[in-house]
Amino acid sequence: MASRDVVSYDTPLSRALKVLAGLFLALYLVWTLLPFFVMFVSSFKDLLEAFKLPAVGDWAGITVFFEFTPTFKHYTSLFTENSFGTYILNSLIAAGGSAVISVIFGSLAAYSLSRVDFRGKQDLFFWIISTRMAPVVAVMVPLYAIFRSLDLVGTLPGLILAYTTFNLPFAIWILKGFFDNVPFAIEEAQMVDGSTRFQAFRSILPLVAPGIGAFVVLCILFAWNDFLFAAIIGSGGAKTLPVATRELVQPQNIQWGSIMAAGVVTTAPMMLLGLVIRKYLVTGLTMGAVKE
Amino acid sequence: MATVTIKNVWKYYGETPAVKDLNITCPDGSFVSILGPSGCGKSSTMRMLAGLEHISAGDILFDDQRINDLAPKDRDVAMVFENYALYPHKTVYENIANPLRLRKASEDTIKARVTGAAKLLEISHLLERRPHELSGGQKQRVAIGRAIVREPKLFLFDEPIAHLDAKLRAHMRGEIKHLQRTLGTTMIYVTHDQLEALSMADYIAVMHDGELQQWGTPAEIFNHPVNAWVAGFVGEPAMNFLTCDIKGQGDDVLLRHSNFEIPLLPGQVRQLNGAAQAGTARMGVRPDALSISMTRPDEAAMQGEIFVNELLGGDMLVEVQLDDCRIRVKTTPEFEGKPGENCFLSVNRDKWHVFDAGDGHAYF
Amino acid sequence: MTDVSPISANPRAVAAQIFRARAHSAEVEARPQSEITNRPRSFNPPMPKRYYYYLMAPAIAILAFISLYPFFWLIVMSLQDVDIGGGEWVGFKNYVKLFSDGRFLDGWWLLAQYSVMCLGLQVGLGVLLAVVVNSSKYEKYLVTALLMPMMMAPAVAGLLWLFLYNGTFGWYHWILQSVGILDNASILASANTAMYAIVLVDVWQWTPLITIIALAGLKRVPRDQLEANMVDGASPLRNFFAITMPNLYPVLLIAVLLRFMDNFRFIDSVLVLTGGGPGSATKILPVYLFEVAFKFFKLGRGAAIALTLLIVTIILGKLLVRVFEKPQNEKG
Repeated sequence: MASRDVVSYDTPLSRALKVLAGLFLALYLVWTLLPFFVMFVSSFKDLLEAFKLPAVGDWAGITVFFEFTPTFKHYTSLFTENSFGTYILNSLIAAGGSAVISVIFGSLAAYSLSRVDFRGKQDLFFWIISTRMAPVVAVMVPLYAIFRSLDLVGTLPGLILAYTTFNLPFAIWILKGFFDNVPFAIEEAQMVDGSTRFQAFRSILPLVAPGIGAFVVLCILFAWNDFLFAAIIGSGGAKTLPVATRELVQPQNIQWGSIMAAGVVTTAPMMLLGLVIRKYLVTGLTMGAVKE
Repeated sequence: MATVTIKNVWKYYGETPAVKDLNITCPDGSFVSILGPSGCGKSSTMRMLAGLEHISAGDILFDDQRINDLAPKDRDVAMVFENYALYPHKTVYENIANPLRLRKASEDTIKARVTGAAKLLEISHLLERRPHELSGGQKQRVAIGRAIVREPKLFLFDEPIAHLDAKLRAHMRGEIKHLQRTLGTTMIYVTHDQLEALSMADYIAVMHDGELQQWGTPAEIFNHPVNAWVAGFVGEPAMNFLTCDIKGQGDDVLLRHSNFEIPLLPGQVRQLNGAAQAGTARMGVRPDALSISMTRPDEAAMQGEIFVNELLGGDMLVEVQLDDCRIRVKTTPEFEGKPGENCFLSVNRDKWHVFDAGDGHAYF
Repeated sequence: MTDVSPISANPRAVAAQIFRARAHSAEVEARPQSEITNRPRSFNPPMPKRYYYYLMAPAIAILAFISLYPFFWLIVMSLQDVDIGGGEWVGFKNYVKLFSDGRFLDGWWLLAQYSVMCLGLQVGLGVLLAVVVNSSKYEKYLVTALLMPMMMAPAVAGLLWLFLYNGTFGWYHWILQSVGILDNASILASANTAMYAIVLVDVWQWTPLITIIALAGLKRVPRDQLEANMVDGASPLRNFFAITMPNLYPVLLIAVLLRFMDNFRFIDSVLVLTGGGPGSATKILPVYLFEVAFKFFKLGRGAAIALTLLIVTIILGKLLVRVFEKPQNEKG
């Protein structure tokens, strides 16, 4: 949209509003970004340095926040004293596995749902979407019982399957929107040109590929950031990063430096991925209701 | 090359019939246009021919082969879609080559055919571009290129030039017609534009509400419409209709309107065949079968008041208030009447039509 | 001049007349009465759609296994007294007990409070922020910055805020103390303030979502409407309330419903921050459910609670899907 700004004229009121808006924006940015900054900086602080606070009301004392000698020991201890290497791998496998399964089967289902009409389609659709929207704890109660009887609790396959409960409906729902946007005429032209139905389906895949790729990433993001499923279904053999980070909180001795470092390790990759697929993020986070 | 026979074909969408008992035979090598307003069933018909829609009832035959149950790929037809349906991620070359690749033609054949088709359509310089880099007219040529590269039995064109601007459309009409004559392949061309149908087709099938109204050559459709609907739909500016009484007077039969009384020609009396004696009928006359003058030319002339003049370049269209209705007359730009002035109209009786007042079928 | 020509008298009326006359003379005349009234004698056999069903089948099968099957299990479990060992049928006892369970009812009440506070703040801040960001020339960078909190795992966010809120070394605790809002006790330690603490974290993490949705809505406000209203004499402020806001409502409704359901769905940060405490001050229903099912392993009772939660979610979901359909149909 080249000219989306409606013309506006300067008045004293509008100037005052502009200043207020700028102020608000600045404050909000500080509020949003400060926690990241604190997390990042604290992950390089030694334990005692991290605990340093100025006296109450001593605003000039804020500088103590920056008085420290950077250390990487929290990061190294994550991998030496803890087995964060394994947890990263677990997170990757669980999130990646469920993302790949969800997107492969999801795109097949989304394509056919987009192209065929049958009685009860709306109901089927509602079932799919409500599966995605169901409260995680509520889903987990029966899932836990079932998985326990199948010996899936504490295993990566169990966790992958658990993540699929929200990723697969999500993929179907979003990808259907993608396929809806590909004109049927392109497949029809393919079929008249001499392709089979499956070849026609394959021929439009390149058109939706960027979207599908972005949604693989989004599915990974959702699964990577999950805590509840990982804490219950994955407990034992399939510990993921958020759970491992949480376990650093122990009643007597909270290792804040390590927790902050683990937070950085958990968050940084997702932040980067989020930036890569920024274009699709809004669509994804709003279940396709809002397209940017 | 094939004769296409559509036999008692119906298309239902749920409980709604879109095509009703359609019967058409397109002779081998002919250019057939299916003409009708949107929603008349013409596109459904074409899609049934291509195999993109299920044929609810009836049969379609290519030569003598029933093709109802063949998949599109096995029908050996080529289709040009209304919005071109080019593959956006492939080059023009690959777009045109696609049907050949799907048929596993050799690379040499593909190259020869694609360059041949591109040359015929004058798009040789565009082969490396992608569809989004092309103008509407160029996209349309690529879509046609994809259709002709394979030398199919039958061409299906679904309003291929509807999205082009008026000038380009006029140009493409000639090109498509020439192309079809050159290739000699049977062509079925769907359009809602009566001018396209009249100017290009060997035969026109006029459809309305899912039913075939009339089948004939463009001249037959234009000069002898079978009913008032076809008469009103074909021809621009549209035909004027006036409700008249039919009155016998001695040996003559008169068409009487509050404004005039004009006798039918003797042959027309016979065609009327007493059917509508002393009833009402609808007189139809095209704007160019009327002439206008500022002085009364003869006793039978209609008298009216000029309502508005429209200069259309080489012609002038005059709208005349005739008692309680208005009719349009085509005349020359030299015509000097002004709105509000009285004028006189006379009818070329060889070119007028009389339709039944009830069901609208044509007496002549 | 007595003979006023009709055109100069009232051009609009004349124009209308002309159009009416045109419509009349170009009117397409009745075609012959159709002779085709009957249906075809026989229909062709229907075309199989099997191909599409094959493509759908695997996904549906997986979903059935991980969603439909557990759902029936849930119903069965809710009628049993299940713990680690196994279950025995108890009929509706689990449900009956819920109504005398103060924590269950409190859980709903707290959930409602929590949701309303979160949504109120998020919508207010989010829309304001969207309007400001929309008129900024740095929009792209601002949006990028705003997206950050949403990329963080809610559990990690909970831990981070736990650190910030900490009563002895938390920086936010220090700020709150310094401006005089808090005395020595941590915001999380007091039953009066813990709810606000978890609301703030949710606001921090998810306000940007509302902003981004509202931003997309703002871009869709028809420019011609704004301009027509301006030419008709509206001030920018009036324009905002008369044109922009009504256009924004549909997307905001979606945003609110989505967030509302997310408050039901995710309790990661609450679990990490307070675990429902102190006491039961922040034990919103899903947290209570978590405790019943996975701390005390009363799976039967948990199932009954889960079903009530599911039913409310499904109702909300129905609502959401209905709202969804509209902007999707517009496809602007």
